[in-house]
Amino acid sequence: MKIARIVAIVVLALTALAVIGAGPLAPAGYEQQFREMPQAAPSAHHPLGTDDLGRDRWARLLYGMRVSLLLAPLAALFTTMLAGLVGGIAGYFGGWTERCCKLLIDLFLSVPWLFLLITVRAVLPLNISPQASVAVTFALLGLLGWAASARVICSGAKDLMRSEFIWLARAAGFSGFKLIRLHLLPNLRGALFAQFWISIPVFIIAEANLGALGLGVAEPLPSLGSLLRELQEIVTLRPEPWRLLPLAVLIAVISSFQVLLNKQEVRA
Amino acid sequence: MLRFCGWAFLRLVAVMLMASFAGAMLMRIAPGFSSDDQEINSGLSAQSIQAIRQAHLADKNIPAFYAHYLVSVIKGDLGTSRSLNQPVKDLLKERLPVTLANLAFALAMGWLLGLALATGAQIWNVRAFTFLADGLSGTFISTPAAAMALIFLLLRLPPVFAAALLIFPKIYRYAQNLLQQSSAMSHVLTARAKGAGPWRVLAWHVAPIALPQLIALVGVSISLGIGVLLPIEVVSDVAGIGQLTWQAAQSRDLPLLINLTMIVTFVTVCATLVSDAAQRGFTRSAA
Repeated sequence: MKIARIVAIVVLALTALAVIGAGPLAPAGYEQQFREMPQAAPSAHHPLGTDDLGRDRWARLLYGMRVSLLLAPLAALFTTMLAGLVGGIAGYFGGWTERCCKLLIDLFLSVPWLFLLITVRAVLPLNISPQASVAVTFALLGLLGWAASARVICSGAKDLMRSEFIWLARAAGFSGFKLIRLHLLPNLRGALFAQFWISIPVFIIAEANLGALGLGVAEPLPSLGSLLRELQEIVTLRPEPWRLLPLAVLIAVISSFQVLLNKQEVRA
Repeated sequence: MLRFCGWAFLRLVAVMLMASFAGAMLMRIAPGFSSDDQEINSGLSAQSIQAIRQAHLADKNIPAFYAHYLVSVIKGDLGTSRSLNQPVKDLLKERLPVTLANLAFALAMGWLLGLALATGAQIWNVRAFTFLADGLSGTFISTPAAAMALIFLLLRLPPVFAAALLIFPKIYRYAQNLLQQSSAMSHVLTARAKGAGPWRVLAWHVAPIALPQLIALVGVSISLGIGVLLPIEVVSDVAGIGQLTWQAAQSRDLPLLINLTMIVTFVTVCATLVSDAAQRGFTRSAA
């Protein structure tokens, strides 16, 4: 397992370098068209060839990774904050507040994740600018993905509220915001941190599914999901296997996250 | 048990009421809700167009709109699809059996594979086997369903196997974790020390502890399976609920989309409640 963890760290470090250095590493911009050479095979100038519109695939992969891998953690941060808020309130107050929060959590968990995403995404206009589509896609992931994490946080907060040191703090006169800030939040930090890390690969996969279905990031902006749409021209995949690279990168990145996450946390 | 059933029914009603309210609100606030294509139909008289506008004005009152929607749903009228111009009920009659059959097969295969690998890892305890099983589950859990469907299309394999392979990692990981935890219990160690074989230990000491929690996973796996089937049906062109949902999303056919989501929610909530009840019943009978 130690080797697997080292490989995962190397993969994620290389990915981070590629994301940061997308500008200098890419031979062209993600939307620059080489109209004289559409669907070109890999060459020194275009390491992964060009797509139907003559855009460099390597550049699109690098920028696509940047979009997916920078925004998924942001969405994960947002969802963790939301989960912390709802789960924390439910665990801290207990009683009817907890029941109402749990009902809300149940509602979100009852609808299959992708159905919920697609339904809410379809309510919003589909013909929006690429930048707006990025914001909408990742904001939706952040807004709709909090329920499972909130359940974990609620359970953690409830356990803490029953613990002796909280009773002692209460007896010493601590209550409300002070109790939350000084005792509850520092002890929930581990759970919140774990939920943040668990959410990142989940959001990258969700974006990939949305993108592959044409409901994610809009053209010409690339993301790991929107790059998968190119794979739908299935007839040309066998003679051009390099087109599978975005999928291979996606699997490598998610697998690396899975390996690095604590075994118990992933399985919980 | 009666009390549990009562609470479960109340939970189902509450979740469905909340889901239907959220659905109706989404329909109501969506851009373009108050306009109708028929308003630009030159064949309609001014009176007809006025009647259509009046009907939309009535929908502006949110509580009235929700009440009207709820009464229609209770009566079994799920509305008409705007894009396909067909009653939602008829569309469901056509598509639901396809998805349910695929779901049942994918779940059966996913559970079989997941449990077989988890049991194998537990019984043989060979490092290479566990490494292989972990690697397989890690790879499939990291693959988006849409990409998996494409790979299966490329290999000319039935798409339902792709769904099974995407469901199995969750079952495998959860089952393996449960079996490991149960195996570490003191009475299991005693049974081993007394010379009971691995199969006997598994069947008589480990499985009875792990089974109730595994039963609770059935409900979750149904929700997971439905979610996984959506992109697979779209990519593989399978005429099921998933494909219908995607078509509705593409054409922003909100009545169809929200009714589909409601039905999926109903199925998953019922499945979760049934698996919770089964888990409860099993735990009681074991005790």
